[in-house]
Order: sequence, then structure tokens, then C-alpha cells
Amino acid sequence: MEQELIWDLEQEKQRIMVHPILGRIEKGRRVKFTYDGREVEGYEGEPIAAALKAQGVMIHRYTAKKHSPRGIFCAIGRCTDCVMVVDGEPNIRTCITPLREGMTVQTQYGVSAEPFENQ
Amino acid sequence: MPLPERNDMKRYDLIVVGAGPSGLSAAIEASKRGVKTIVFDENARPGGQLFKQIHKFFGSKEHKAKIRGFVIGQQLLDEAGKAGVEVVLNATVIGLYQDKEIVVKTGDTVHHYKGDSIIIATGASENMVTFDGWTLPGVIGAGAAQTLMNLHGIKPGKRVLMLGSGNVGLVVSFQLMQAGCEVAALVDAAPEIGGYGVHAAKVARTGVPFYLSHTIVKAEGTDHVTGVTIAAVDDHFRFIPGTEKHFDVDTICVAVGLSPMSQLLKMAGCRMSDDPKRGGQVPIIDGHGETSIPGLFAAGDVSGIEEASSAMIEGRQAGIYAAEFLGFISKTEMDNGEEKLDAALDGLRQGMFAPKNRGKNIEKTEEGIDISRNLLCRGFIGDDEIERFPGVTHKAGVHPVIECTQNIPCNPCQDACAMHCIMVGKVITALPAVDPSLKCADCGMCVASCSGQAIFLVNEDCGDGTATVTLPYEFLPVPDEGTRGRALGRNGQEVCDAEVVKIRTSPAYDHTTLLTMSVPKEFAMKARFFKANA
Repeated sequence: MEQELIWDLEQEKQRIMVHPILGRIEKGRRVKFTYDGREVEGYEGEPIAAALKAQGVMIHRYTAKKHSPRGIFCAIGRCTDCVMVVDGEPNIRTCITPLREGMTVQTQYGVSAEPFENQ
Repeated sequence: MPLPERNDMKRYDLIVVGAGPSGLSAAIEASKRGVKTIVFDENARPGGQLFKQIHKFFGSKEHKAKIRGFVIGQQLLDEAGKAGVEVVLNATVIGLYQDKEIVVKTGDTVHHYKGDSIIIATGASENMVTFDGWTLPGVIGAGAAQTLMNLHGIKPGKRVLMLGSGNVGLVVSFQLMQAGCEVAALVDAAPEIGGYGVHAAKVARTGVPFYLSHTIVKAEGTDHVTGVTIAAVDDHFRFIPGTEKHFDVDTICVAVGLSPMSQLLKMAGCRMSDDPKRGGQVPIIDGHGETSIPGLFAAGDVSGIEEASSAMIEGRQAGIYAAEFLGFISKTEMDNGEEKLDAALDGLRQGMFAPKNRGKNIEKTEEGIDISRNLLCRGFIGDDEIERFPGVTHKAGVHPVIECTQNIPCNPCQDACAMHCIMVGKVITALPAVDPSLKCADCGMCVASCSGQAIFLVNEDCGDGTATVTLPYEFLPVPDEGTRGRALGRNGQEVCDAEVVKIRTSPAYDHTTLLTMSVPKEFAMKARFFKANA
């Protein structure tokens, strides 16, 4: 219970609760999913990337050759910088893939969820 | 993964690629004329970028001026629904072949369709510039910032540096502040601001510094952005050593222009041209938006970068042209339908920011007034420059002061004033003039109707040594009446003490709050923004 409250407070910082033009931001149902093995929360139907951004996640993947980090860049499914391993499938564009309850989201190393030292 | 299956090819009178402002408008007009139309869009929602536009649009009534972009988007969807337009989402058109056959990918399957005519309305994609560290998480496109904050309610960052002073860079900087982010600076390698002066001025007056003739040296950070270094550039865009400046930011937002997404047209074999005034590779089209391939049309940003208002008109015209091409209407019916649209489009293509004037060095307004150099180079009009514009007049009592100093196609202020104090006239790009002999009712409608947030209601002398300034305020929290703070000048610097004496909201103002502050009367023509004391 206490844990959940902390999450909510953390989310306040990145989420816009009330907007001067758009008013109160409407969201779907609050759901749990896992990010790199950790249980976290987001709103059903929002892009996975939005839920992660609300948690302060910046790095979505590391490139295959140089192992350099990548995150959200275009946010409309065009650049593929934000791809991650979702439910075991690599190269999922998290900025246009809606969040569903119980999803497993993992940082992508090259094209795998295994960190490079284990590959 | 299942193998792609090939279904029987489906045929439509008209296939539209792209369900943005242009594509939807095209489909609406064609459907209304009995044309069997289908629209494909790769996104999960229709409307293109309209739903990310939360500012009031420019233009006149016929262009839906002073209505916010996302509201126009909803109106367009409603109209498409009524017209019975069929829109297929999450459907990427991956090929356009001979005889107007297209290939559409949905999920893991591919389908073929054939159109008797096709309208390509694929819009544009963002340009990028590279600099050290540009691939770090935290470097994002301006479109990404709009998507995150205006569609998904997520702040793109806490402290942001904006690169690019075109309208996108200026508008998104303002929107970032509306979302509760801090904008550390606005930077552009060009020596002059690319977008509308009014968009720059509303950002500058909140205190955001502009660095023209500057660009990014490097994005700092190992795993993600923790800062940025910029430096001045010379006439050849080379860094000038010793001019480096550092900012602590967690986000760098890049807004360096758009390019037409014309790949499908090129693939189909249309004659193309490389036209910098249109934003890059564009199809060569005739006066009816028809490419070199009969029955294949292009509309909106794909045929030349403009903005959503003109894209919607071009789309409507393309829909009418396609209906005529297909024989659903006669040539006379076509001409009747598009005459008004032609005039509306022509109106939007006037003024100093018109496509035909891109790259030109314009020093005087159409009225022959010197353009503010400060506005072009620093983002705000100098206190010594403001008096020469026709919207700035003086009289006893409350009166409008219109700081609109460039010829842009926009006139809602004229209609907003029931007392007829404000005059733009027949030429929609003319600078608004204020007639000081007419009475101002202090209704605030002009302030709220100005898409550029360039109108203030000023009482220069309240009789007790103070003056009042009413300004548009679109931020949260809205300060309460009685709140004390500092007035900021046009340049965002503090000029004097100020107290909020009136807060007005109204459905007619459409989410623009009118904040009236009291300042010492010598600052009546200098104080243009309010900052509450911490």
C-alpha cells in the first residue's frame, strides 16, 4: 500500500495532471506491468513509452555495434529508436504500442533482452 | 509469424493515403459527391498532427481562425463521419505501382487495392541535425514533445533547450511551458527568427532567452542528456571559439524544419522537383494538384510545406478535382465548388511569410513601416520601436494596444471588437490599426481572439499614479486577484512591481485567461507579463 502511494507521487512529477488548455488529462484504467523484472504501473491504452517516461525511464535500448543508449526520439513510430523487447518479442516500437495489463517490457541489447555480457 | 496472405484485390473510385487534415478534407469532398472513397493511415488515430496543436489558428473566419487545432481536428472527424468516409487505421501504404495499384500493410498481412484515382496526402516528416551526442536519450524531435505532452499528458522533460526558431520551435516552446516544463533557451543558427514574430514575442516576454546565430556544439551526458553546450556561429555557420555557453537541461528539442514525405509519388514515377521553397523533393503538380500521372493527385505538405489550414483547403480541392476526373461532377460543378476555396487559399498565401517570399530579406511592412530588428534577432519588439505600428495608439481610459507588427494572414481581432475600434480591412495581411476616437468596452474579446497573443488592454493612467495592463495568460496556476509580483517587459526582464487586480475567464475566451495587473503608470507601455513573487 505504502509502495503504491510512493509511485503515485513519483508519477505526479512527469505526468501533467491539469493542463491550462486541455484541462484534466483523461486516462484509461491503471494497470500493472513489468519493466526489466520490476512491477510498475501505467494507464491502459497509453503508449508503453509514455508509461515508462512517466516513471523517468530514459534508456530503451543499447545499439548492437557500439552499445550506445537510445530512447524516445520521434514518438510517432517512425525512427525506431525506442524499440524494446515486449512480451519476449524484440524491436517493438514502444511509442506506438498501447500498454496492456501484465505486459513484460525489457530493455533491448542489440536485438535481445539479455545484457551484452550474457550474450 | 503467419505468411502474408494475398486477398482478392479490392477496387475503389478513390484511394486517399493519409488521414491528416489534407487527406480527410479530400475524402469528405469526394464522398459528398458520391465517390466511393477509402482512406489509409499508418497511425492508430486519424487527424494527423491536428490533435497535437493546442494553440489558436491564424487566418480569417473561413480558415477557422482563432479555433484551436485539436478542436478543428474533431470538427473534421465529425464531418468525415457524416460524409460516410471509410478510414482504415494502422494501415501503412508500402507501395504505389502502375495503374494506381497500392499495397497496404496491416499487422503482418499485406493487401492490394486499386483506385481509379489516388490522392497522396502523406504530409511531412521532421528534419534533423547532427551534433556530438545527438543520439543520446533526451534529444527529441519537437513533434515528439508535442505528442508526449499534448496527446499523452507526459512532460517531455523538466528543463528543455529548443533548437530552431521556426513556427514549430516557437509554438512548441510555448506549449512546453504550458505543460509545466522550463525552457532554458531558444537557439537558432540563422541570424533571424524564422517564425512569426508574435509567436516569438509571447515566448520572450516570459523570460526565455533567444540565441540567434548560435547552434549546439554538443549534448552532454553519458547515458542520457544532462546538459548542452551552444556557441555562436559566423556567416559560414562555423563555430566562433570562446563563445560557448552551457545550460543544465535534461532535454534537447530539435525543430529544424519539415520535409515532404513524397516517397510514394517518386516510386510511382511522378515527375519530381527539388524545391527548397517547398521543403525538398516534391511532385510537379498542375493547378489542380494533379501529378504527371493522370488521376494521381497530391495535397497538403507532401506537395510543399505550409501549415494545416492550407493543407485542409488543398485537400478539399483535390477531392473535388478527383470527383471531376472520375466523372462524378462536371467541369462547371468543379469550378463552382472550388472558386471559394481558391480565394481562401490565396488569402493564406499572402504576407511576408508566404511560400513565395521564403528566403527573401523583407525590411519593411506592406504599409512601409520598418520591421522591428529586435523582433527578428532577439524575439521581442524594443520599447523604442513599438510606437511606429498602427495598432499602438493612446487615449484616456482602457484601450487596445495591438503589438502585431508583421504582415501575416490573420484578422479575428477585427471581428472580435463589437465597438469597431480595430481595423484590418480587406487585405487580410494588413497590420491591425486601432482607432482611438472610438470607445473601448473593455470586453477583452480582442485579447482572447488574437492567436498571436499580441493584444493588450491598457489604461495608461488610472488617476492614482497607476496604470492597468490586461494580458492573455494561458499558464497554470492562474494567480489570484491580489497576488503581488513583478511585471516583465517585452524582453522578459523584470521592469517593476505589479499586483493582479482582475482575473477574467469566459467560455468565449476559449481557455485564455485575461489577467489584469496594476503597475506604476510610467510602465504602462513597458509591462507585458506577470510573474508572481516566489
